[in-house]
Parts: sequence; C-alpha cells; structure tokens
Amino acid sequence: MQPSRGSATLRDSEIRRQLAPVRIAVCRPQVPFVRGGAEIFVDELVRRLRARGHEAEAVAVPFKWYPGARVLTQAFVWRLLDLSEADGRPIDLVVATKFPSYCVRHPNKVVWLLHQFRQAYELDRTPLGQFSESAEDRAMRRRVERLDAVALGEARKLFATSRNVAERLRRSVGLEAEVLPHPPQELPYRCDGYGDFLLSVGRLDRAKRIDLLIEAAARRRLEVVVAGEGPDRERLERLANGRVRFAGRVSEQELADLYARCRAVFYAPVDEDFGMVPFEAFLAEKPVVTTTDAGGPLEVVRDRETGRVVEPTVDAVAAALAIDEEDARAWGRAGRAIAEQVTWDRALDRLLA
Amino acid sequence: MKVAYHSPLPPSRSGIADYSALLVPELAKRVEVELVRPGRFRRAPRADVFLYHVGNDPQAHGWIVDRLERRPGVVVLHEFVLHHLVAGRTLARGDARGYLDAMEREHGLAGRLLAHGVLDNRIPPLWETRPEQFPLAGDVLRRAQGLIVHSAFVAERARASGYAGPIWRIPHPAWPFPGAAPAPVRGQPLLGCFGHLNESKRIPQLLAAFSRLRARRPGARLLLVGALSERLARLDVPDGVVREDYVEERRLWSLMAACDAIVSLRTPTMGETSGSAIRALSLGKPLVVSDVGWFAELPNEVALRVPVDEHEAARLEEALELLAADAPRRESMGAAARALAEREHALATVADRYAAALEEAAGGAAVRDAVLAEVAQAAAEVGIGAGDEAASELAARLGEVALGAAFTVPEEGSPRR
Repeated sequence: MQPSRGSATLRDSEIRRQLAPVRIAVCRPQVPFVRGGAEIFVDELVRRLRARGHEAEAVAVPFKWYPGARVLTQAFVWRLLDLSEADGRPIDLVVATKFPSYCVRHPNKVVWLLHQFRQAYELDRTPLGQFSESAEDRAMRRRVERLDAVALGEARKLFATSRNVAERLRRSVGLEAEVLPHPPQELPYRCDGYGDFLLSVGRLDRAKRIDLLIEAAARRRLEVVVAGEGPDRERLERLANGRVRFAGRVSEQELADLYARCRAVFYAPVDEDFGMVPFEAFLAEKPVVTTTDAGGPLEVVRDRETGRVVEPTVDAVAAALAIDEEDARAWGRAGRAIAEQVTWDRALDRLLA
Repeated sequence: MKVAYHSPLPPSRSGIADYSALLVPELAKRVEVELVRPGRFRRAPRADVFLYHVGNDPQAHGWIVDRLERRPGVVVLHEFVLHHLVAGRTLARGDARGYLDAMEREHGLAGRLLAHGVLDNRIPPLWETRPEQFPLAGDVLRRAQGLIVHSAFVAERARASGYAGPIWRIPHPAWPFPGAAPAPVRGQPLLGCFGHLNESKRIPQLLAAFSRLRARRPGARLLLVGALSERLARLDVPDGVVREDYVEERRLWSLMAACDAIVSLRTPTMGETSGSAIRALSLGKPLVVSDVGWFAELPNEVALRVPVDEHEAARLEEALELLAADAPRRESMGAAARALAEREHALATVADRYAAALEEAAGGAAVRDAVLAEVAQAAAEVGIGAGDEAASELAARLGEVALGAAFTVPEEGSPRR
C-alpha cells in the first residue's frame, strides 16, 4: 500500500519501519550453559526488531577458545556459514555482535560490537590473559588481531556499545566505530526505597571483582546480596564466610525486587566493555559504586553525581560504600535521567539507517 | 620472545646505526633483544627470530649478510639497491667469481658480460654509475623469511623482483626533538639542505634554483650542511649560501629548527628514507622533495614534490618561491608534518609494529599449521577430498581471514578507515 500524503509528516525512521521490513540475522557466539549480558542483549535486539515489523532471528554458534589454535579454528567456523539466504529467501542484513561472530561473510554486514577477544588485547599478559610468551602463542595473538582487522574492516558499518569498546578497537586495529549504547534488559524497574544492603549483579568471575566488595563491606559490617552464578562462587563464598547472601541466578521479578530495595549497587569489573548493570541500577534510581579502572561504567557513573568512583582498593571501596539515603536518592535519580536517554527506538534508528 | 638483532650500532657513523640506537631500547620493552656483534668466530645466539638490518654499505652490513646466509631471518631492507654491498662482499674480498655469479643470477648472461667489462676496466663500476639498474638484491631476498621496509617503493620493487614472502611496511621512527634552540641564522626565507651532500642530492640544481630565487628575494639564504663530495666541492656557491661541514646532532637540530623550509632532493634513489626529512617532519618544517621513491610517498600536505626531469631546476625554484611567499601555507604544512610524525613515525608505534611483525615471523608458520591441520581433519572426517570444490572454498575462506598463509600481511591502506 502506498503511504497517504498525510504520512509525509512521519519521521523518516517511521516511514522506513512501515515500508521496509527486512530479514535480519543477529549473530552471536554461544558458550554452552552460560547466559550473560550478550545473550540478553541479542534476545532483546531480536525482539525489538520484530516489534518493528522486521523478520529477525538470532544465529548462535557454540564457541570454545582453547586450547592452542582452537580460538582461530572456531572463529573460522563463522567464515564458512552462508547467511546470504535462508530457505530460498535472501537475508538482507547481518548484525554481528562479538568475537568471533563478526567473522561471518555477508555483503550487508553491520557490526554492533560488544567486545573483541579480550584475551588477545587488553587482558594479554595479565592474569586474565590466555597467551603465553611462546613464539606460537605470540603469533596466535597477532593472528586474532589480523582476523579482527579483516573481519571488522569489511563491515559496512561499525558500532560499539561504549566509548571504551570503540577506543579499544581504534587502538588495537585502527578502526573507527560509532558509539551506540543500548538499554538494559526490560524489567519492572522501580524504587521501593533505600534499604540497608548493597547489591552486586553479574556473573561470578574474577574479572568482576566481587571480592573487593565482600572485603570492603566486611570492614563496615554492611549487608551484601550477590545475584548471579559463575566459576568464582566457591572462592567468594569462602571469602565471605557467611556474611554475604549469595542469591544465585534470580528470576527477573526477583532481580527487579532486589534493585528496588537496595541502598546502592556495586559494579567494578576490570576495564569492562560497557556493562548493563549501571543502567539497570539507574532505572531503579539507585547509585552505583565503581572504581577508576572499571572502563565502560565510567562513561555514566560520575563521582558524587550518579554514584561513587574510587580507587580499586578495599579501603577506598569501604569508604565509598557508606552512602546515606539522601545521597543515594539524589544520585540514583540523576542516574535515571541518564539511563532514560538510551532507548531501543533511538538505537535501532541508527543501527538500521 | 627473543630476537637476535643484527645491525651496525654507534659509534659506527651510519644512518642505520643511529636508527637502531633509537629503536632498540623501545623494542626491548616489547620483546627480548639480543644485540649481535660482528666477529668471525662468534656463535649464533639462541633466538626465536633473527633480524638483519641490510643497507648498501659493505663495511657496515657485509658481516650482517654473511650471518643471513648462514641463518635465514627477517630482513629490514633499508634500501632496495644493494649493488655496492654485493661488490664489497665479493670484489673487495678478492672474489671476482662471486660478483660475476651475482650479476648473472639476476641479469642473466648480459649481466655477466657487463660484470666482466667492469673487472677488465672496460666500463666504469656499475655501483658508481648506474646501480639502480642492477640492484642485486636477489641474494638477500632469497634468504629473507620476511621483509620489513619503510616505503611502498621498496615493497613494490621487492615484489616485482619475485619476492613472495611477507612484507611489513613500517615507517622510519622519528627522533625525539632534543629541544635545541634555533641557531641564530637569519634569512627571508631561510632554507636548509642537510646530510651527506653527494651527487644524488641534486646540489647543482638546488644552487641554480636558489640563486634565481635570491635574485628576486635578496634576503633569502640557504644553509648547506654536511660533507660535500669532491666534485661538488668545486662548484661555485652563490651568494646567500651558508656552508657548514658535518655537524654534531644537537647543532644539526638547532640549524634545522631555524629554517623556514627544508629541501631534501634525491636522484637516483636506492629506495632509502631520508633521516633529515624525518627530522624535518618532527620539527614541523615544510619539505621540498624529489618526486621519486620514498620521497614521492610523502603526502601533499607536508611536502612539495619536484619531478626529476629537464624542468627540475625551474620547478624547484617555483616550489621555493611558493613557500617563501606564503607564510600561512608554511604554517599549515608544518602542522601537518608534525601530525604525520606523531601519527606514523612515533617511536612507540614503530616499535609496536616491529613487535607484531617479529611475533608473526617467529610463530606464524606453527599457528598456520595448527589451524590447517584441524580444518583439514574436520574436512576429511566429513568426506571432503583434496580436489573437491568444497576444499577450494575452504582454502578461499581461510585466505580471506588471513589464516591460509604462513604469514599474511594486509595490503597497505586497508582495511583501516
């Protein structure tokens, strides 16, 4: 149906929405039995694209990055996929999200980068790195770099979820990406007040530094609730020695309740890409305590404006965790104003432009 | 990862010795570097990769090529024309046959005949008269597992001569400006030409152009700094030219800093980079260069390029006049020069690129083999045979993402944005 003359007043994006439904494959790697921010992001992206009338589908391929050269062969699996069409009909657009899904071939490939293979870059030669000093491992890391340069360089458009991710991309392979943040998962966000516990949300692994929270909170005898699962749980539980409530994987309703009732949210991973947790906290009008080396969260958490930003030491974090209710409310509301600016509508307009 | 680093080093008075003195401390922050010294009976060190700096001077580089012949490695090819080096490693060591063979390997029977002509004093030495026509780089290229070059010019010459290995183009690093105050030399404008002032630096053409410029602009002066060759020393030097012989590094910076523009001409070129042009970029000085070799690759924003033809002196005069008359242009070219030095020639960036090249050279083949073995096994398990179309597609896809070859180096300029 041709649009009526009156529809000329519609915004461009709305016209596009009505006239150009396309088939979109959203690509992500899948680590079996693990579900985290990337999985939530892709599911939500697909849902939002469908809500706009597009035919969207998540395409996931299992990913294992060890031992040895497996990181490269597993990446290469993406290169063999033929996403030019499905069931005899063309796929118009491929949106790839993180390593190695962006190795996929497609004439209309757009990358919305969550992160590269971090072990080859900023985590290299740290305890969280993967490559040894052997000649083969060093060359392997360079191959990942080269693979990124090719696979990301051929994308029609490059977006990064945060300035931090965009900056890493520029530093590592010299490619420029537009920063395109996205909203957090949809939850019944609300604020029921400012209770007397601090909340940590996320996967329990060393990079998230929940041990810092546990030790700092112990200094001040503050209550802590940790929501999430992960390989570091046993160690963290030993460290907490019964003083912390480990809630494990919680339902969306439970998570919204925790956000609604906590005093503040602690989120201080090492050089995080972006991290949805600060936005989730802000939407519940809660301030965020983070550290100066946290990376992406620093783009929205500002000291004494939307939370606390302190040195990554137990002493500094312990001092920062003591937030009175008045400050918590003011900073949480300021955070909410920031989080509300990031909407799926705006993000998709840019992604599909 | 350990690198056995072969290069002339100070106090050797060679540009490549200065280059290594600048690079090695920064490179050593990224990879373990063992400096290898000349000496006939020294044992080769244990290392993951062997690196050889090769230039045209047989005294500085003869021993390095001797080592390269014993053990292949990555070659930093500072210039493509190595005729003088080959002559030094053969004729100067009493090995006439070696020279004849080298000429024949690269230029066939005609090359051997020419070499005989040289040996019999029937024609002047080719390394003095037309080395660019007989570069004799083949023996070095055959032993090179990979090449590091400073210019597309050298990379293209290497490819054209059949070199199929990896080539990494890594710009020459910029020396940090030592902060020397500009020398108290005045001129309106003050132009400068620095370095070993031999025949290839186009000094007669420069003096002719300058003298015509000075006829219109009596305040113009030209700093001509560096040792003049015997023949050039007999040239008439026009008014306004200030001569200094070889100067120490600090004095060199100080004189360059005083200049409004720096002239760096060259023909013929052996594919070399100019140290004084690199210094000029660091200082933010506009350049006037010959439109040849590495010099021709300098962007328009930083250099006026003068073609080497019958109009050379006239074009050179026009370029000098343009810079003399247009102060805002000098400013903008200077700013672009500084930006280029920071972007492309920063020492840390250059060292990063060296580390990347050396790491790929050291372990790239093993990685490639590991990937190919796994892909081949998977292919075989699902019945894909060597001659199948599917096998060809696998190979094509591996090539696309830089996994198919032992080393794969992206074409210059891609895919960066």
